[in-house]
Parts: sequence; C-alpha cells; structure tokens
Amino acid sequence: MSNFLNIMIPEELKEQVHNCIRCGLCMSTCPVYKQLFFEGASPRGKIQLIKKVLEGKLEPSANFARLLGTCLLCETCTVTCPSGVQLDRLMKAMRAELLSRFSLPWEKRTLFNLLSGSRLLPFCMFWGRTLENPLRFLLPSQGRVGTIPFSKLPRLNARPLISQYPEVVRPDGARVGRVLYFVGCATNYLSENVGRSVIAILSRLGVEVIIPRGQMCCGFPICLAGARKAALKNIRRNLQVFDPTTVDAVIVDCATCGAALKEEYPRVLEEMGEGKAAEAARRLGQKVLDISQYLSRFDLGKNLRPVESRVTYHDPCHLLRTQKVKEEPRSLLKGIPGLEFVEMEGADLCCGGGGTFQVEHPEVAAGITANKIQAILETRADLVATGCPGCRLQIHGNLKDDRIRVVHPVELLALALS
Amino acid sequence: MLKPEVLEALSAIVGRERCKTSKEDLLTYGYDACIYEYLPDVVIFPKSTRETADIMKTALAHQVFVTPRGAGSGLGAESLAKQGGIVICFSMMNRILEINRANRYAVVEPGVVIADLQKAVEGVGLFYPPDPGSAAVATMGGAVAMNAGGMRGVKYGVTRDYLLGLEMVLPSGEVMTTGTVTAKDVTGYDLTRLICGSEGTLALVTRITVRLLPRPKAKRTLQAVYDSIDRAGDTVSRIIEAGIIPATLELMDRMVIKALEESAHLGLPLDAEAILLIDVDGDPETVERQAALVAEFCKSQGAREVRVSSSEKENEQLWVARRSAFGAVARLRPSCLIEDATVPVSVLTATIKKVKEICARNQVQVAVLAHAGDGNLHPLMLFDQRNREELERVEKSMDEIVDYALSVGGTLSGEHGIGITKAKYLPKQLSPTSLRIMRAIKRTFDPQGILNPGSFLEKTQGNN
Ligand SMILES: Cc1cc2nc3c(=O)[nH]c(=O)nc-3n(C[C@H](O)[C@H](O)[C@H](O)COP(=O)(O)OP(=O)(O)OC[C@H]3O[C@@H](n4cnc5c(N)ncnc54)[C@H](O)[C@@H]3O)c2cc1C
Repeated sequence: MSNFLNIMIPEELKEQVHNCIRCGLCMSTCPVYKQLFFEGASPRGKIQLIKKVLEGKLEPSANFARLLGTCLLCETCTVTCPSGVQLDRLMKAMRAELLSRFSLPWEKRTLFNLLSGSRLLPFCMFWGRTLENPLRFLLPSQGRVGTIPFSKLPRLNARPLISQYPEVVRPDGARVGRVLYFVGCATNYLSENVGRSVIAILSRLGVEVIIPRGQMCCGFPICLAGARKAALKNIRRNLQVFDPTTVDAVIVDCATCGAALKEEYPRVLEEMGEGKAAEAARRLGQKVLDISQYLSRFDLGKNLRPVESRVTYHDPCHLLRTQKVKEEPRSLLKGIPGLEFVEMEGADLCCGGGGTFQVEHPEVAAGITANKIQAILETRADLVATGCPGCRLQIHGNLKDDRIRVVHPVELLALALS
Repeated sequence: MLKPEVLEALSAIVGRERCKTSKEDLLTYGYDACIYEYLPDVVIFPKSTRETADIMKTALAHQVFVTPRGAGSGLGAESLAKQGGIVICFSMMNRILEINRANRYAVVEPGVVIADLQKAVEGVGLFYPPDPGSAAVATMGGAVAMNAGGMRGVKYGVTRDYLLGLEMVLPSGEVMTTGTVTAKDVTGYDLTRLICGSEGTLALVTRITVRLLPRPKAKRTLQAVYDSIDRAGDTVSRIIEAGIIPATLELMDRMVIKALEESAHLGLPLDAEAILLIDVDGDPETVERQAALVAEFCKSQGAREVRVSSSEKENEQLWVARRSAFGAVARLRPSCLIEDATVPVSVLTATIKKVKEICARNQVQVAVLAHAGDGNLHPLMLFDQRNREELERVEKSMDEIVDYALSVGGTLSGEHGIGITKAKYLPKQLSPTSLRIMRAIKRTFDPQGILNPGSFLEKTQGNN
C-alpha cells in the first residue's frame, strides 16, 4: 500500500488535506450532497477519506473509488472552501491513482480508446453516420443514455468540421488578427454549426483562422476519469501542433477544452513529472482564450441585426470556475439588438451533466438537472445559451419543451451578423 | 461491533440504502468540526418520526448506544459516537412542513438546514433571526440541541428564544410533544427549553416549531476600521451602554482580517488592528438614523474609517466573508481550535487583551473573532494537531482563558456548548447541586443511559 501512496499526488496537495478543518461549508454548495444527503457524497467526506488513505489508515477500496466517482468535478467546493483546499484537484489526482488499481468499466474504456486514438474516432463517426444509426451499437438498449432519451441525442455532422475547411481560412477583408482554432471533438463531430459560426464571425471581423490538422481530443474527459497516461498522447500531440508563437490567440469554443488547455495541461504534466512539456503547456495556456473572451476585444455593435427573442445563459463549470469567464458571454448576448437577456436563478449552478457523470449516476443527475430546467422555465426564455457541449446536451436532453432551443452564444452572434 | 440481528432489524426499518455500515461510511461519520474522532458501528438515516421511534426501540431492546447527528458542524464532538453504536443522522429528514403567516410560525423537520429555513420564510416577508456562522450547513435539529446563537444574538437572542414547541422521541421510544403554536404558554415545566441546549443527551428531536418575526424592512452594514483593537473593544461596550441595539456587532482582529482578505479578496485594510462589522436593521428611517449614529460613535471612539454599505449585495459580501472566517483562518495552520468563552460586554477589551497575553505566553498563535455585541469571544487557536507538544500548549491556554472568563463573571461557553472539549471545566462553573439535578434529569429521560453516551455530564467527575 505504501508505494501506492507515493505516485502522482503532489506533496503540496497532500498537505492540503490537513487544512480541511471539517467546517462543512462545502456541503452547503455541493450539488451532489444536496441530492444524496450523506457525508460520503460530500466534498468534506471525500477529502477526509482521501486523508485516511494518505495516512495509510484506509485501503483504497472499490467503495472508496465509487464514492470518489460520485462527484461532478464542478469545482464549487474548491471555490467555497475558505481554507483554500483545492478539493477538485485532490479528487482528480486520487482518481488517477485509483485507476492503477481498478480498471475502468468497459464502456468508459471503449470511449477513451476512441477519444485518445487519432484514427478510430473519425472512422467510427464516419460509419456511424453512414449507417444512419449513430453509435447506437455502443449504447445500452433501454432507450436512454443516463437521463437523456435517445431521441434527444445529437446527430453527427455529415463530415467532421475540420474537413469542411482549409487549414487556413483567410478573412473577408483586411487582416486584423490571426488565431489558431482548437476545434474540440464536440464541434468537430456533433455541432458543426458552432464551428461554422466561430469561423464566420472571425472571418467577418478580419481574423485569419488557422485550424491545425492533426489536432486531437483535448484529453480532459480522459484525465478526469483518472486515465492520465492515456491522455498523455493527446496532450503531447496537441502541444506539438499548436505553436502559439505566431498568433494573437488560440481560441476554443468548448468550456472543457478551454479548461484543459489553460489549466489542466500544465498541472497534469507537472504532476506526472513531465517538466519540459509542462513548460510548453504553460506557454500555450497563456495564449488560450475562450471565444467569448477573444470576441470581447471587438466592437461588434454596428454590424448586428436584431434577433427578436428572449435568451438566458447557463454558466458551464469549466468556463466559470476553471477559467473564471463570467461576464464576456453575457455581454456578447446583451450586445445583440432585439435579444432580451434574462438572468436565471442559479445560473452558476452545475447542470448535472458532469461529463459521463449523468450516465453513471442518472438518479443523482436527474435531480440536479431538474432544478436547472426549472430555473430556465421560470425565465420564460425561448433560448438557452451556454458555451459547453456537455451542458447543451444535458439541458437539451432534459427539456421537455421543444420550443426552447439550446445554443452556443456564438450561434446567436453569427445569426445577428449574417 | 453490532450483532447481525441488530443490523438486520435496523435495516428492516429504513431499508439498506439508509443504513450504512461500510468502513468508508463509518469514517465519514467519525468526525465533526472539532479535532477528535470516534467511529460509529452504523449510520442510519430516518425519514420520519415513526422510523426514528422504531430505531430507538430497537436500540433499547438490544442495549445499543444511539447518538443523534445533524450536519456535524458542532465544535466539540457532540454528535460523535463516543462509545460506538448507532449514529442516527437527520440529514434526510429535511422538509419544511409549514410556514404559517397568520400566526407567524414555522414547523420543520430536524434535518432542515438553518439557511434554507431563513430563505424560505424571508420569501414570504418573515424572518427567522438565529444565525450561527454555520447557518449554511447546520441543521435545525443541531441548532436546537446546541441552542445555537450566532451573529444576531445581540439584538435577537438565540435559538431558545424562537422555540415554540418540539416533537421528540425519548430514549424509551415513546413520542412526546412540548409547547404549542401560541406565543404564550405556561402550562407545566418548560420542557422545550430543557431540550434546547441539551446536546443530544435527552431526546431525539423530530419536529420543531419556531416563532417568526416580520422581516425587517431595511438593513445597513457598517464596517469600522481601527488601528487599535482596544478602541474597537471599547466602542462595543460604549454602543451597548448607550442603549443602541444593533442587529449584529462582530469584531475581527488583524489575523482574521488578513486570512479573510487572502481567501475572499474584499479589499479589507491589511494594516488595520481590528474591524467592527455592524448591522442595523428595522424601518428605513430608523435604520438611517441608527447607521449615522453608530458611525458617529465609532469615529468618536477612534475608528480611522467607517464605511457604510450602499447595497444589499455589498452587505452580503461582507457577511459571506465573515462566515468563512473560521475556515479562512485555518489556512494559516493545519488545525484550529475555537474557544468560545463569553464575558460581560463591559470587560470585553480587557478579556481580549488577556487572551492575547495568555496565548503569547504559551507560544500559541491566536486570532480573535467575537460576536462582540454579546461578549461572546471566539479566540481561534492555531496549531498542528500532529504536534503533541504544541497541542498541550493550546490546551494550557484554554485552561487559562476559561479561568479568566469565569473570574470576571463570564461563562465556559456562549454558544458552542460543552461537548468533550470543555467537559472537564464543568465543575468550575456548576455547583455540585446543579450537577446533581442535571444528572437526575438525564436519568429520568434516559434511565438506561443509551443516548449520546460519553457526553458532557458523564465526562465530569464527581458524585451524583
Ligand atoms: C464555521 C462554523 C461556525 C459556527 N458558528 C456558530 C455560531 O455562530 N453560533 C453557534 O451557536 N454555533 C456555531 N457553530 C457550531 C455549530 O455549527 C452549531 O452548534 C450547530 O447548531 C450544530 O448543528 P449541526 O446540525 O451541525 O449539529 P451536529 O454537530 O450534527 O450536532 C450537534 C449536537 O446536536 C445533537 N443533535 C443533532 N440533531 C439532533 C436531533 N434531531 N435531536 C437531538 N439531538 C440532535 C447532536 O447529538 C449533537 O449533540 C459553528 C460551527 C462552525 C463549523
């Protein structure tokens, strides 16, 4: 057991477990605890268990692993904790440890193999689409993935976004900027309209968009489940193809990819002892901007046509808490004429998706998502905007009312610019 | 270890999901917000009075200890199974059953979180004043059992002052109700108040009726900055003496300010020796007048700056910060022990001085926080509990602080209760007669001694 204890969790994090004075404030904001109401489901409980494991007083059992898995990694506890314990980092590091002992369930293994391979994913996507039966063969047969009915799953793009554009997309008029575009799996394979909007807006503004070939899944979903080694290949490749030196920014339209490139890469590499790569990742991270951040540099006002609608905005955890991006997407939306912006109650609360969380813990997710849906309905908006594909999937999949559309803010902006 | 048939019987009452026995589950119910740990044998989560009574009867039949628990935010191991057995946790029994506007009361189950009740009643123009720093986590059951106080004590009193009635399960498994929903009630002994503050040793509270007030129409928060903590302390006694009753009157010393600034980045002045955080509430005109008066008062007592909040949001930020003070201070060192000796307001300044002197002499790092308006001090002693020698110095400081507080007419505990941390001091404040009566009461409720064993009364020596 003792050598189990010494891998991967950095000393600085290990020491933090002693700073948890068990005041319990984290429980008051943890969405999972507020569904389950027992300590093992709460951040305080998990940290205390990790402490026991680190002290060698608790064997990291399957039950321990299960409890650690009962977490959305929404980072609310980390933000709440007055003692400054980085609970989410501790839990992520511990999950990585656990993976060396307990293997992942087969569904996850399959998914991660897909995400970490450079050929397999396009291949499956191609056949999935061609057979008009997207990924059905991977799904259990009950008609739902977690809380989401099959009928509400997104359709695949006919062709991956990347292959719809040249590597360099020249702007319409004079060039005022140049960015690298990290497309991310969701936009590439599922929501091409988001990518098209991004490219259209930037072109219109005079920004040259370079879409590096050979980019891969950011690897964050794989990391979060603890499979860091598997993610390493993706991280290395992305560091290779995204050379930030000759561009103004590296832009991302996905909250998770942004969090990965800005925060997770340097940290994970550091924690895995990959010092040199971590340095490169830091350099890249400094250039990475969420699309809403990048667009906030421009004055869009004069070119916008009205969009007559009522919109509300949901803060994705990885955008709000990991990247600290709160105002920019809201200002984009508020800047669109005709579009009425209404703040929902608890916009910053997790939607319950949490990557694969909603598939593994549908009962817990259902309660959390129901609160979110309720808040959306109360705004009487007909559009919900959010910059995370996972949140869009989760919210769309659970909205009973099909008149409410769930979009990325850039889709509305592109509409207003067209 | 519990016998299999006991576990069988318990899980038959609530189902397996709400009867937890895994090592991980037991570990997570082995602590509260103080530094001690005791493992239970099983944790069980009732959802009704009926289930609670059945659990109690089963426990009694098999002579198994039972310890009630709310959110485990207590500061003295009150909710821990100090001698093993069952932890009966009320977190899943958490419905607000009624908010009655016509008669201004509310009825709740014990697992309702205090802040949730506050929010719910404020939504309909009412007000539940008791507001401990832990309100966002602590449960109503825990608040009743500890007679929780908090920030608004100076004007509005404590949990005890809002209790109209209780429903409880006795150690025998019988259900008893006390009180009424009327504001006045002198029918018999006041058993409601007896249960309040009993630290989970007399009965399991399963339903709570609380009195509500109309919600104050306006509120202002003032922040007065001092270069001398003495002047801050003096301001407090002067305000009270002058007959002004602010809704809250909190004091933080330099170390607390520094820790809060590090954790919340509010722009607090890092060079200040002390800050007073003062709320005045009531009708808008009264509030305006009082805010000005209090500001004037602080200045005349030497505050170098008095900031008056201009919005509800600004109020809220200041208070959020104050609530996280305990945790924020804990950034400085791994462990933190909160003292809660309380003294008459007129000797507040002297007591703060004394506390600092005691800690300095024992080489213990201390931060001082106080519900100053009611003389309720919270010296936060910082250390590393892995260091035995340091822990001893902390304990020595605590002994001396207690002695001093008692010598000036104060009390062992203003609101956190006795638990196991202060049990040994009990005979210093309570006479043998008081202790004898208390033990007799305990025996009347719990003749077999199976409820919350190892708690404060039993920890103290002395004969009946
Ligand atoms: C950061 C922080 C700030 C705090 N600030 C304050 C403050 O300002 N004022 C203050 O007074 N306290 C404060 N406390 C102490 C603590 O939060 C209170 O004592 C609170 O009332 C405990 O509630 P709980 O639900 O956590 O109870 P627990 O800690 O779970 O239990 C406390 C006691 O109540 C008993 N109990 C719980 N539920 C029941 C029930 N249904 N029936 C019978 N007995 C029961 C338990 O057996 C135990 O003896 C603070 C604590 C922290 C960590």
